[in-house]
Amino acid sequence: MGQKRKRGQAGNAVQYITRNQALKKLQLKLSEFRRLCILKGIHPREPKKKTQGANKTYYHLKDINYLAHEPLLVKFRDAYAYEKKIRKAKAKKNRDLAERLLARKPKHRIDHLVKERYPSFVDALRDLDDPLTMVHLFATLPAEKALSIPAKMVHASRRLAMEFQAYVVRTNALRKVFVSVKGFYYQAELMGQAVTWLVPHNLAQMLPTDVDYRVMLTFLEFYQTMLQFVNFKLYHMLGLKYPPVMDARLEQAAAGLAAIMQDLAKPAIQAGAAEPASGAANPDAAKRLKTLPQKLKELQQAEVSGAEPMEAGNDADVAGGLAEDDEAEAAAEDSENEELGDIDSGPTSVAGGAVGVNVDNDAEVCEKLFAGLVFFLGREVPREQLLFVIRAFGGTAAWDGEGSPLSENDESITHQVVDRPTQGHRFLSREYVQPQWVFDSANFRVLVKPELYAPGTAPPPHLSPFTGPDEDDYVPDYLQELRKLQEAAKAARLRSQGLEQDRFVGEEDEVAAGAGPADADVDSVEAAEKQYAAELTRELQAANADEAEQTSDEDNEGEDEQQLIVPKAAAKTDEAAEEEAAMKNILMPRKTKKLYDSIQKTRSAKRARVEKLQQKKQALASARKKQ
Amino acid sequence: MGSKRNARAETKLVEQAEASSDSELDAEELYLSSDDDADAAVGPAPEDGSTSDDADDESEEGSEQDSEEEGGSLDDELDRAVVDYIADRGGTDDPAETSGRPPGEPGEAEVAETRPVDPGSDSSEDERPNRNTIGNVPLQWYKDEEHIGYDKEGSKLIKRERRDRLDALLARNDSGKEWRTVYDEYNDEEIVLSKEEMQLIQRIRAGQFPHIEVNPYEPEVDWFTRETEIHPLSSAPEPKRRFIPSKWEEKKVVKLVRALRKGWIKREKKDESEEPPAYLLWQDDGMVAEKTATGLSYIPAPKPKLPTHEESYNPPKEYLPTEEERAAYELQEEEDRPQFLPQAFDSLRKVPMYSNFIQERFERCLDLYLCPRTRRKRFDIDPESLVPKLPKPRDLQPFPSALMLRFRGHKGKVLSISVDPTGQWLASGSSDGSLKLWEVRTARCMHTWALGGPVHCTAWCPNNALRILAAVVDKKVVLLPSGTGTEEVEAAAVQALKLTPAASEGDSKLAHWQARDDGQGVDIVHQHLVKSVTWHGRGDYFASVAPTGNTQAVLVHQLSKQATQNPFRKNRGRVVRVAFHPAKPFFFVATQNHVRIYNLAKQALAKKLIAGGGITSLAVHPTGDHVIVGSEDKRLAWYDLDLSAKPYKALRYHTYALRSVAYHRSYPLFASSSDDGSVHVFHGMVYQDLLTNPLIVPVKILRGHERVDHEGVLDCAFHPTQPWIFTAGADGDVCLFCN
Repeated sequence: MGQKRKRGQAGNAVQYITRNQALKKLQLKLSEFRRLCILKGIHPREPKKKTQGANKTYYHLKDINYLAHEPLLVKFRDAYAYEKKIRKAKAKKNRDLAERLLARKPKHRIDHLVKERYPSFVDALRDLDDPLTMVHLFATLPAEKALSIPAKMVHASRRLAMEFQAYVVRTNALRKVFVSVKGFYYQAELMGQAVTWLVPHNLAQMLPTDVDYRVMLTFLEFYQTMLQFVNFKLYHMLGLKYPPVMDARLEQAAAGLAAIMQDLAKPAIQAGAAEPASGAANPDAAKRLKTLPQKLKELQQAEVSGAEPMEAGNDADVAGGLAEDDEAEAAAEDSENEELGDIDSGPTSVAGGAVGVNVDNDAEVCEKLFAGLVFFLGREVPREQLLFVIRAFGGTAAWDGEGSPLSENDESITHQVVDRPTQGHRFLSREYVQPQWVFDSANFRVLVKPELYAPGTAPPPHLSPFTGPDEDDYVPDYLQELRKLQEAAKAARLRSQGLEQDRFVGEEDEVAAGAGPADADVDSVEAAEKQYAAELTRELQAANADEAEQTSDEDNEGEDEQQLIVPKAAAKTDEAAEEEAAMKNILMPRKTKKLYDSIQKTRSAKRARVEKLQQKKQALASARKKQ
Repeated sequence: MGSKRNARAETKLVEQAEASSDSELDAEELYLSSDDDADAAVGPAPEDGSTSDDADDESEEGSEQDSEEEGGSLDDELDRAVVDYIADRGGTDDPAETSGRPPGEPGEAEVAETRPVDPGSDSSEDERPNRNTIGNVPLQWYKDEEHIGYDKEGSKLIKRERRDRLDALLARNDSGKEWRTVYDEYNDEEIVLSKEEMQLIQRIRAGQFPHIEVNPYEPEVDWFTRETEIHPLSSAPEPKRRFIPSKWEEKKVVKLVRALRKGWIKREKKDESEEPPAYLLWQDDGMVAEKTATGLSYIPAPKPKLPTHEESYNPPKEYLPTEEERAAYELQEEEDRPQFLPQAFDSLRKVPMYSNFIQERFERCLDLYLCPRTRRKRFDIDPESLVPKLPKPRDLQPFPSALMLRFRGHKGKVLSISVDPTGQWLASGSSDGSLKLWEVRTARCMHTWALGGPVHCTAWCPNNALRILAAVVDKKVVLLPSGTGTEEVEAAAVQALKLTPAASEGDSKLAHWQARDDGQGVDIVHQHLVKSVTWHGRGDYFASVAPTGNTQAVLVHQLSKQATQNPFRKNRGRVVRVAFHPAKPFFFVATQNHVRIYNLAKQALAKKLIAGGGITSLAVHPTGDHVIVGSEDKRLAWYDLDLSAKPYKALRYHTYALRSVAYHRSYPLFASSSDDGSVHVFHGMVYQDLLTNPLIVPVKILRGHERVDHEGVLDCAFHPTQPWIFTAGADGDVCLFCN
């Protein structure tokens, strides 16, 4: 038997040290330690045994040693010494020296920390929520000197936010939008990772004084660096140049996203160039498209020269040019839509532009949802947010103000997004909707009924897309309606897919006829089977939908009667069951019983919540009836 | 008007100030006291005016004119009233008033005459010529004299006749000036204050500048500005050195130029605010590192909860709080209440800024770097999987499930019940001192014995040939012939209970056997209060428990020999219950925390079961291999004697202490009764093979008794042949539950 071990020689006692011990070890002030921890991503850990007391924060010794070897630590010490020099110069009223020293202040970089903390790109994407939210917040903050928020940081935040949004638009990665009381929640899917961020409403933020902005700025420093590299990587993967050049004119016109998108080669235009078929439908449009790059070049040159008198003219030119482009696109897409519309005009309105896409491929549906729709944003709607959403879902947007690609009078506009109760002039050719229409349509991948969102009326409730079907047992009425719509849209998409398959089969046949009859037969049989299966499913769904509607009405009457009878009979069995359940609990071990009870408690609380909501709904409905 | 009244009340003014050149006061303080003081002050002194005690006073010089200066140097607490300045003004500025003065008051006219004012004069001395020349001496010195002092000529100033109060009142009513008349004690004269002076006083009292002309808020003239002027203040000619190039400067320039040439000094590019360029940081993808650079596992911060419908700017109506909920929210403490209430806006443009946004982000930041992180396993358990898989109670029938009969008749709590071996009769003992015999089928009371004390325990003798009933009353164990059997049985019982002379005279140290008074049955009188009695399976031996009996707590009696013996010599704790093994020579003794099992044949301890929690009851399984114990800590413990000293199952389901436990003699049933008024019936199947553990299944909860005085069901007993159970309640009833 070996010697008895002494206390505090192994285990938690030596693996973990308290914060104060860490400070002493690193010879740092608390503020410096905090800064270093934030940048390095070191956080306290929870030891199994708190050897120094329960009310202390513990750091792992390895973490602290890791900090001790950080080159940044030395840099910070140097910076501190340098600060002292400046202070001294200032105290001695040696202004020149102080200025010179300030100008030559050593800078530090934290690129290596990003790589250290996120060894792979996916890691970084997973942790992108907080950086994005923070950067979006600071993009809207004023550069307050009293709170030491430097203007540079605010500008950088804005730029990074715009760049990221531009990427999301470019790749149509946006999946969910939610307008909450707090702000706009967005969820995008990047490389299979769901990235969620929150953008405050477009209003002046109130800067609370009881917040330590230094902490937030330290976080922001890291987040900006991280986001910069993430953006670079994202752009790199698309083969785009980073950083993108912002269009100063559009930026001035407060159309930030558009300013960047100008630089990113427009996906719609590229697509148009790549697909001669769509251009062929409208030769005039194709011609215009060909001239587009030239025009763009002219535009850029004009901006570089920056001649003021020229600008007015150019503006008009640009607006005209862009308008033409969009017209051309719209026309091309319209023609497509017409083709489809001839066959099945009804469901297309629900499915939006996303017809002929794989229903199961959410990305494809998202990409094409607003395809062919041209939105005009009123002055009073949050332009940046709507622009982002509309473009991310494949739509075209113009706005009331400088830099808009289309004027309000343009014929191609299909939807006008307004948020004021009355309109001066109404175009009969377009739908007038509230901004919520865009968000709801995007969330549920359908074009919801625009009549419900008519300006001046109270829109239907705006539902969170983040509650899954199983998460919340309570389903609001409007969600049920939306789900029906979704089904309809899905059916429409499936149908259109079936049509394409039809065409495909026909072509195959023609080709196969030349190649060999045996192969062709096999292929055609398979195809036919597929088609048949698809048709069957379609019919089944349609039938189901009809039945569901019919039976729901009938059931309601029958159910009422049944419900009256059931409770009496159920009461006894309920009691017996309850007693049985109570007796079963008796034999549970104490730990299990506690666990069981706690689970039951949360379940019952959830149930109670749902019940309460249902009761409220009924009360509201009855109140409405009385009125 | 109010201010005027105040002014009237004040007649005595003390002024301490220096009068400025044009008779303005720079600073003054006025001390005002009541009218009566002034009346009381009468004042000449025998001593001469020059005897002043204030060394530094100017009036010390002795000159008549100087005395007015005293105002500036007088201490505040000086009791003298000086109204020089005012006297001066009062006498001169208001000629109308002076002329209007009645001739009966010559003093004032004199005052007016004696004080000419030279408006051009700069001196403050001119303004207040005193009539009196006594100087700065206490006025008490002249208190008893006829004169108040001396005038300039040296002749005495005779005191004026004092007005009595009536006169004063009349004067006050007659003239409008009386309220602003002030008596100057020093000069023995009355001064009428002018309106301007009254204003002066009022302004001082209001804490304002005394003179209305003084403007405290004059625009500041910044004579000495911070800004450097371009023109020199001095017109001195520039010195020559200003025009000659500096030698030292030249040297320095040369030095700098050289340094620049040689590259010692590098010129910084001023505007280098460009962001450091980004580059491709991550080369390859798909690799996910589990460990961080420290070698510790990476614990990602938990993501904040995603918003639900509640957070929407336009949530469904049912999510909005009602009035009551809103009120409740307001009432809650700020820390307790949820972060926000759902709100609805009918249009997006009406959504206001969320004021807590930055705060929340800040808190998130704090969480990120301050919160200790650990990995917690989250169990997603189906609660139904936690419920033990047990057979359904209806598959385990028969068991008592319904209340069949209620035996009513006891006036107190029914403390104990016992069913006779045939199952035809039931005996119940109550706290009212009665022992009743019931017929089970009819619930009819066949016999009642009044035993004269609460019957804590009853027990039928298992020997069917005797049909004797044992009961415990106070210190006695009473053996009674039940009178339920045939004549032969009756006779046998009487025979058995007939005391032998040896017994009655025998050793009375432990217990004394004696015949009952009515001749029926036997009393065994113990030395301590007896609480329970139990029979051995054959019906010859029975044991009694007297918990307070110390070493004599357990006594074993033999009916046939009518003898008593004490099996234990040592006290092992307070004995609560005892029981005989149904087949083997084992004896169970339950103390408060343990159950000891003694081998009677070997006279040794065979096993000790650990219970704890205050045992109240004990029952032995008919096979003798299992024991259930009920205790005060609401626990029922099942012991398998073959397994260990710890319970095989400890069940806690009653909400109050257990009162009794019982096994069924033939069916696999056992039951427990508790003070919560319920009886739990269990299916307790014991298997013959030793490998299978007993199966315990709760089958029924019986509720038929009400709680009285925090006591519920005090005893329970199974029917010997049927799956029925009898329960004795504190409410005075005995219930029979049948299947």
